Amino acid sequence: MTDKPVSEMSFEEAMAALEAAVTALERGDVPLEESITLSEQAATLKRHCEKKLKEAEEKVAQITLDGNGNPTGTTPVEGM
Amino acid sequence: MTTALITHPDALTHVTPPGHPERVARIEAVNEALTAPEFTFLIREAAPLADASQALNGHPQGYIDKLRAAVPVSGEVALDPDTWLSPGSWQAALRGLGGCLRAVDMVLGGEARNAFVAMRPPGHHAEARRAMGFCLLSNAAIAAKYALDHHGLARVAVMDFDVHHGNGTQDILWDEPRALFVSTHQMPLYPGTGAPDERGAHDNILNVPLPPHSDGARFRAEVERQVLPRLDGFAPDLLIVSAGFDAHRADPLAQLDLGAEDFAWVTERLCDIADAHCGGRVVSTLEGGYDLDALAASVAAHVKVLMERGA
Repeated sequence: MTDKPVSEMSFEEAMAALEAAVTALERGDVPLEESITLSEQAATLKRHCEKKLKEAEEKVAQITLDGNGNPTGTTPVEGM
Repeated sequence: MTTALITHPDALTHVTPPGHPERVARIEAVNEALTAPEFTFLIREAAPLADASQALNGHPQGYIDKLRAAVPVSGEVALDPDTWLSPGSWQAALRGLGGCLRAVDMVLGGEARNAFVAMRPPGHHAEARRAMGFCLLSNAAIAAKYALDHHGLARVAVMDFDVHHGNGTQDILWDEPRALFVSTHQMPLYPGTGAPDERGAHDNILNVPLPPHSDGARFRAEVERQVLPRLDGFAPDLLIVSAGFDAHRADPLAQLDLGAEDFAWVTERLCDIADAHCGGRVVSTLEGGYDLDALAASVAAHVKVLMERGA
């Protein structure tokens, strides 16, 4: 994992770090004592990825149009 | 008949470096918990030394020779970042194995209905050819083989509820059609094995991984949905339990959220299986559990149920 704080990572960076952490855990070459630390890092990364996804979803908005078909603004998509 | 408690002071002579979670104080905490008045009627038995040849039921001679040769005259040596040897480690390991084999003898010989072996180092990570994860000899797997080969049982089940997958037990019982190995464990976590598709050479292994932060309700649901039907269908002649208590919410090495009451519950259910198929014969051996208070409370809850059911 890079030294960059998780909170500053892009979605892509966090996903890559999460995949690396899970792969290392599944490969079994992490000592028992360190396994929990890596597992906690993975959980933090997962939360960060989820937050980034939520932010992206909120940006996906329905474009509202006026009577002439011109865009007038956006409203959030229901159920996202 | 009642419940046997098998231990020995040699469990304290396996010394790990300062700060290591698998430490002497674990057994001291367990011993202290089991001095409470409610444990007065345990049959207390000293763990005998196993003969090194008895470890051949799980490990090749070359592994045993190398392990023995690696034991230092003084200080501590690391076999890997987790797994350490001190001058007393070989003796402690042989007492741990001897305790498990004695427990099998007592339970099958009618001296006790069930038994708990309170020894360390633990055993369930030790593969046939590799010590790892604090473990040296694969006590539960060797005890299962001993019950099959020496006592002539037809079927032995091993249930491992330690929070880490029992890769060593799985390794040794992988190709043993007379044994069923069932493990519940957190995934992902050390040692990385224990996926549901690891089923053994004879479909004789059931792995039930649980995601981090699974609580008692989730654990109980999976035990009821997967573990108990499988054990019931197997109809064991003896049930061996790898009793690790590190799925406790206070444990520093994992992230499951179980409590002592959940260990009592699963012990009850395992005793139900043993009652249904093998006269209540259960041999339980200590594996992990690294928060001393949680370990003490959980062992007490586990042994209390064994005593109630063994009476």
